[in-house]
Amino acid sequence: MKKEIEITGYKCKSCGRVHYPFHDRCLDCKGRDFDEIPAEGGAKLLAYTQIFNLPWGFDTRFLIIGVVEFENKVKAMGQIRADSLEGLKTGMKLRPAWEPVRQAAGEDIYGLALYPK
Amino acid sequence: MRDVAIIGAGMIPFGRRDEDSLLDLLAYSSLKALDDAGLGDKGVDAVYVANMGAGILQHQTSVASALVDRLGLLPAAADAVENGPASGASAIKNGLLAVASGYYNLVLVAGGEKMREVVGWKATDFVATMTHPEVEYPYGITLPGMAGMFTRLYMEKYGLTREQLIAVALKNQRMGALNPYAHVEMVITKEGIYDHPDSVVNNPMAADPLHLYDMCPVSDGSAAVVLCPLEKAKAFSKNVPVVIAGFGQATDTHTLQERDDPTDLKAVTLASQQAFERAKLKPSDVDVAELHDAFTILEIAESEHAGFYKKGEGGKAAEKGETSLGGRLPINMSGGLKARGHPVGATGVAQVVDIVYQLRHELPKERQVKNAKVGFTLNFGGFGNNIVAFVLRRPE
Repeated sequence: MKKEIEITGYKCKSCGRVHYPFHDRCLDCKGRDFDEIPAEGGAKLLAYTQIFNLPWGFDTRFLIIGVVEFENKVKAMGQIRADSLEGLKTGMKLRPAWEPVRQAAGEDIYGLALYPK
Repeated sequence: MRDVAIIGAGMIPFGRRDEDSLLDLLAYSSLKALDDAGLGDKGVDAVYVANMGAGILQHQTSVASALVDRLGLLPAAADAVENGPASGASAIKNGLLAVASGYYNLVLVAGGEKMREVVGWKATDFVATMTHPEVEYPYGITLPGMAGMFTRLYMEKYGLTREQLIAVALKNQRMGALNPYAHVEMVITKEGIYDHPDSVVNNPMAADPLHLYDMCPVSDGSAAVVLCPLEKAKAFSKNVPVVIAGFGQATDTHTLQERDDPTDLKAVTLASQQAFERAKLKPSDVDVAELHDAFTILEIAESEHAGFYKKGEGGKAAEKGETSLGGRLPINMSGGLKARGHPVGATGVAQVVDIVYQLRHELPKERQVKNAKVGFTLNFGGFGNNIVAFVLRRPE
């Protein structure tokens, strides 16, 4: 597992579609050249859930996980820092942060954390 | 291309089978299918084995080679097929193409999985390895979690209700209780899982808004079928041959986030359309269907995306009883994954076995769709990123 989950979008130079994660060819036009665009701006919540049956590697009672869209169209999954789903709503803005999201082999893995504003 | 028929089908009871190895499970169902076909000591040309996780769960690889040796089917060609929870249907597709092309005349397809050997979190983690290894899996997302996100979006977009999801759970557990092969043989009530104060304990939240009884169990099990050219079916077997009239397979983005509309299961629609086109039949021709209800939401969403109902109508149909025995389109008369269980590599084969029993008119009346002639199966890989569908028919 990589130690950092990079949140970098890949904008197709031919058609402009923004991809995340990386693809060797554009999903729309098959173009092979991309501009790298770091996720920028606020994050709009597109989907979310709270899961109670966790996989290997987590020592918490639950996880709240969501998918967000940044202002420059990069869409990414991240962990939502909240005690419950109360107050969360599809379409709301969340504040992104770069934090440890799990541990592997005793080391922190950094990725996208999301805070309700 | 030749028409292909299923002349033998076999399945063993799904559930927790501590006493059996994965190879035991595969061998038991294979022998049942071969014996059902009445092949006696006759060998087969090829064996396809559907399995998703032996390398992880049993620390065992090359299960197809092991199975032909165990069954005394040497020197038959043998391949393992892995397509996540759609491995079973993918293996049947490979067998179908091999027979249709004329390369082989007799093919055995067996699907099996042994998942109860590991503790719950390991099984959850094993299934989660289907998610994107760099941008999804590290966050702890699980397949139930994916289904939870999908369900909330479906509720917001189409007005799906929890009562509609519960209608699927009640129906499938009711049918599972009548199925001797089912993992879960327990009838549940709406009061027990929804209305009563104790339902909070009986049916806790698992992946919001999905609860425990929206989920299929983690199971051990296996199922198998024998394929041959339709033109040779009578020479090989006395069984009513069930024709694989059409199949379809389609893929979608690995991550949910890259779908333009995450509530649109494009691969389900495409695979189903392909299957119907190849079969020269329509969704309205189908008498009985086995859909991949790993989560109750999936039975509803698949019933819409496969073309049986308009978007937003599948849940209402389930609630009105249209998908129950005697309804407009009985779905999952086996109990589905929800009650029959979901040993991932076996499921796609088990769905086809159940439809074979339906089209041969062999089931007790409590589960048999009267005079069923056309059946449909849909096996759902990943979270909708690799789908295999079949249209099966009973010959005139």
